[in-house]
Amino acid sequence: MEKDTELNHQDNIGNSLVQDRAWADSLLNKQSLSQFNLSKTNAPFNYFESFPDQLMSRIEAEKRQKMKKKNAKIFFLPSFMQPLNRLAIAAACIIVVGGSFIFLNNSVSKKTQAPIVANDISLQELSSEEIESYVDANEWIAEIDVQAQMQKENLRLSSLDEKQIEEIKKIITQ
Amino acid sequence: MASDQELIIQFQESINREANFTALLKKHQQKVYYQIKRMVTDHADADDIAQLVWIKIWDKLDGFKMESEFTTWLFRIAYNETLNYLQKQKKQGTSHSNGDLLDYENATASSDSPKSTEIQIGLDRAISQLPEKQKVVFMLRYYEGYDYEKIASIVGTTIGGAKANYHQAVKKVESFIKQL
Repeated sequence: MEKDTELNHQDNIGNSLVQDRAWADSLLNKQSLSQFNLSKTNAPFNYFESFPDQLMSRIEAEKRQKMKKKNAKIFFLPSFMQPLNRLAIAAACIIVVGGSFIFLNNSVSKKTQAPIVANDISLQELSSEEIESYVDANEWIAEIDVQAQMQKENLRLSSLDEKQIEEIKKIITQ
Repeated sequence: MASDQELIIQFQESINREANFTALLKKHQQKVYYQIKRMVTDHADADDIAQLVWIKIWDKLDGFKMESEFTTWLFRIAYNETLNYLQKQKKQGTSHSNGDLLDYENATASSDSPKSTEIQIGLDRAISQLPEKQKVVFMLRYYEGYDYEKIASIVGTTIGGAKANYHQAVKKVESFIKQL
């Protein structure tokens, strides 16, 4: 029964404003509804008199601000000064400087470290076997040195007598 | 008194723009303010929103093509601005509605009989708890007496939707008051 009444109300909604108001009044108390409206439709004293002037001055202020923005000269930074580009340039500089520092440091250390290692090894620290094996391994180099020396000297041997040749041979074999 | 259409045409033709705009403003400012105040309750909020609405009207009035009534357009902007404002307030968690409700309760408590005061407080609470769309539809229909076509255009729904919103609003408020 109640459901039928509700459906009936729903069907009647929108038929006329008077009916809609009457339906709401019957359910919600007319006096309370008008009291509610009174509480919502009040404003501070003189509010509506001063509102247009207030608003127009705000609109004027906003207009002026817009004009200022329009007239303000905008300087664009050159592209390399843009924040992103600046970062890229800084990163590239760091890579170049860092890379060259590492490269130079490596080559210097290689140069300085090699002789130090060689100097660090004294003959006294080596056993005679090690020395012999080194000499054996490098004998052919010594031989080449002797032959080269002899070839050089042979050029002049023709101008020497036998005694002098013997002396030179002795020196070389020593 | 010049009609809305005449004032708008003169404004758009740049004849006394400020004077024509002010005439429009004076003609409709109260209704706009009350529509907003019924949704936000607090005067400071309603004043803020009303200013935003009229600034928007000033900015957009040149482009208004008069395909609909000026008041429909005006109240639609007011409705949307109020919704935006309420959403921002919800996000920031700074709603004044409870404080104002208490003020209202204190004000009404001293003036009427206990029974009617109770009903009024209940009504106020019930209406404040309605979804925004139902609340506005109810206000525009019951208090302003607008037809459903205009209400539908203002809140962005169909005529049937507006009727349903009115029905649901009244039923919800009724059930809330019955619970008291």
